[in-house]
Amino acid sequence: MQVETILHVEKLSKRFGKIRAVNQLSFEVGRGQVFGILGPNGSGKTTTLSMLLDLIPPDDGTFSWFGQPPSKDSRKRIGSVIESPNFFPYLDAVTNLKIVADIKDKPYDDIDEVLQLSGLYERRFSKFRTFSFGMRQRLALASALLGKPEVMILDEPTNGLDPQGIAQIRDLISLVASRGTTILLASHLLDEVQKICSYVVVLRKGVMLFSGNVREVLAVSDSIEMASSDMPVLAAAIAEFPGFLASTAINGILQVHFDRPVVTSEINTFLYIKGIVLSHLSEKKRSLEQHFLELLQDTP
Amino acid sequence: MIKLLKIEFKKIRTYKVFWILFGLYFVFLAAGILLAEFMINHMVNNVNQRMPIPFPHVAIYYFPDVWQNVAFFASMRYVLIFPAIIMIILITNEFTFKTIRQNVINGMSKTEFLVSKLLMILLMAVIMGIILTAGSFFIGLFHSGFTDVNLFSKGLPFMGGFFISLACYMVYAFFCGFMLRNTGMAIAIFTLYSLIIEPVIYFLFRAPFMFKNTIYTYLPVNAVIRLTEYPAIPMLKKMMGLELQNHVSIVACLIPMAYAAIMIGIVFWVMNRKDL
Ligand SMILES: Nc1ncnc2c1ncn2[C@@H]1O[C@H](COP(=O)(O)OP(=O)(O)OP(=O)(O)O)[C@@H](O)[C@H]1O
Ligand SMILES: [Mg+2]
Repeated sequence: MQVETILHVEKLSKRFGKIRAVNQLSFEVGRGQVFGILGPNGSGKTTTLSMLLDLIPPDDGTFSWFGQPPSKDSRKRIGSVIESPNFFPYLDAVTNLKIVADIKDKPYDDIDEVLQLSGLYERRFSKFRTFSFGMRQRLALASALLGKPEVMILDEPTNGLDPQGIAQIRDLISLVASRGTTILLASHLLDEVQKICSYVVVLRKGVMLFSGNVREVLAVSDSIEMASSDMPVLAAAIAEFPGFLASTAINGILQVHFDRPVVTSEINTFLYIKGIVLSHLSEKKRSLEQHFLELLQDTP
Repeated sequence: MIKLLKIEFKKIRTYKVFWILFGLYFVFLAAGILLAEFMINHMVNNVNQRMPIPFPHVAIYYFPDVWQNVAFFASMRYVLIFPAIIMIILITNEFTFKTIRQNVINGMSKTEFLVSKLLMILLMAVIMGIILTAGSFFIGLFHSGFTDVNLFSKGLPFMGGFFISLACYMVYAFFCGFMLRNTGMAIAIFTLYSLIIEPVIYFLFRAPFMFKNTIYTYLPVNAVIRLTEYPAIPMLKKMMGLELQNHVSIVACLIPMAYAAIMIGIVFWVMNRKDL
């Protein structure tokens, strides 16, 4: 079955003076997807989301929500946290959320529920000013959850939270996603995107480097190095190994990536059956961060 | 519309700064109005000590003069500055707290956001107009009793003039706050301009025959204040030999309204083009 397109972005561009914050960015998000926008600081994630929410007029390009040109009505169907939690400091949590509900034309019924989900229920009558940084972040999440939006846009939602808070928020996002809510999540944390998202675009300096299934783009295929007397034959043979992703030959050694953890003995047996004897076989471990940095460096 | 006002009301209902300034405005105003006669007569007494024929005491609270006098005191710069500061704070807060961003993110259109603030201005001006009308009526009633069924019809033009003054002046303040986005700077610049720069311009450029038809007349803040330029004090007329204002001129109303309209136009134009 064809997945309904929720968000369609085409050649979106924005420059601030000389800086090209977002450059010809195109991607598509389907209903129910958990979609990540991954990139280092300053890569244009927040700028992209700001354009998608009509905060910043794009210089070029178009986008559509729910198959329609952007409007306030499409924004009412989206719950968002962009950059920092923005509330009236002198109002309590409940009043702040009521204002959100009013704007979105939603009843106040689920204010208690979202406060409970985000762990702020006990403090619901405290003024926003008195909240700690993490509590502010949670209130932002609560406001994004209000009115059961079809789409949630989250910009660094775990920023500034303690490890327990991070885990809770991630669980919450997974819970919401499992109910069928489409999620668009921007983060500079590879690990976060990998744990939560199913699809991803990777940005660097406003340009899209990769996009696709998280497992394919971000596969932490700890590579395995191997060599034999006939390298082309080896390359052809290993390509048939289940879970094979890619291989590169460097200095007479073949570096092979897989989309799953692979044990060297498995490979040895597999190749031996094909009549190939290896002169070299070793695992090469990389951290996620290393992998991320490589992803960003690999391109011109 | 009702929805937008409901949202605005939630924003101010428990906001102490708003209510304190709102209260201060009425305290200053009431004090000004109620002390005015006493102060003027105190001066008259001083003067009379050196006069062979003493001036009569003034009475400013009688129908129908009370309408014009109250409107005059209520639209003095030093009094009007309070509602202006309220407006500046309400709009610059939205930038400081970034709630303007959040309102748009949540599904308010930029136009709706501006309309909700303009509705607040209208509502505040209407409420203050009603309070002032009621206040003037009771002051008049207390001093001169119920003398005439036409009392309101003589008073309403002045109260209408006050309403226009107040609404336009708050639009100026809104404009200033919106363009500068910073509370402290907007209040400083607005107060400086209203209370100091325009009066200084007045002293530099006043024409030989005071008051009339200089460029100064058309400066925005003066255009607001000029709607009820003088109190209705018969003695002042005699003393200065001037034909003093006894009605609100329609043309004079149009000048601040034109300024306000231009400022509103600029605000809408900027809102749809600048990043939030
Ligand atoms: N209002 C602005 N004026 C000028 N430059 C800006 C503005 N907003 C963003 N930029 C620039 O645009 C680029 C992208 O910024 P953006 O905030 O979108 O990055 P980001 O991916 O969200 O980064 P982070 O992970 O730090 O949040 C940066 O180089 C930034 O300096
Ligand atoms: Mg950002």
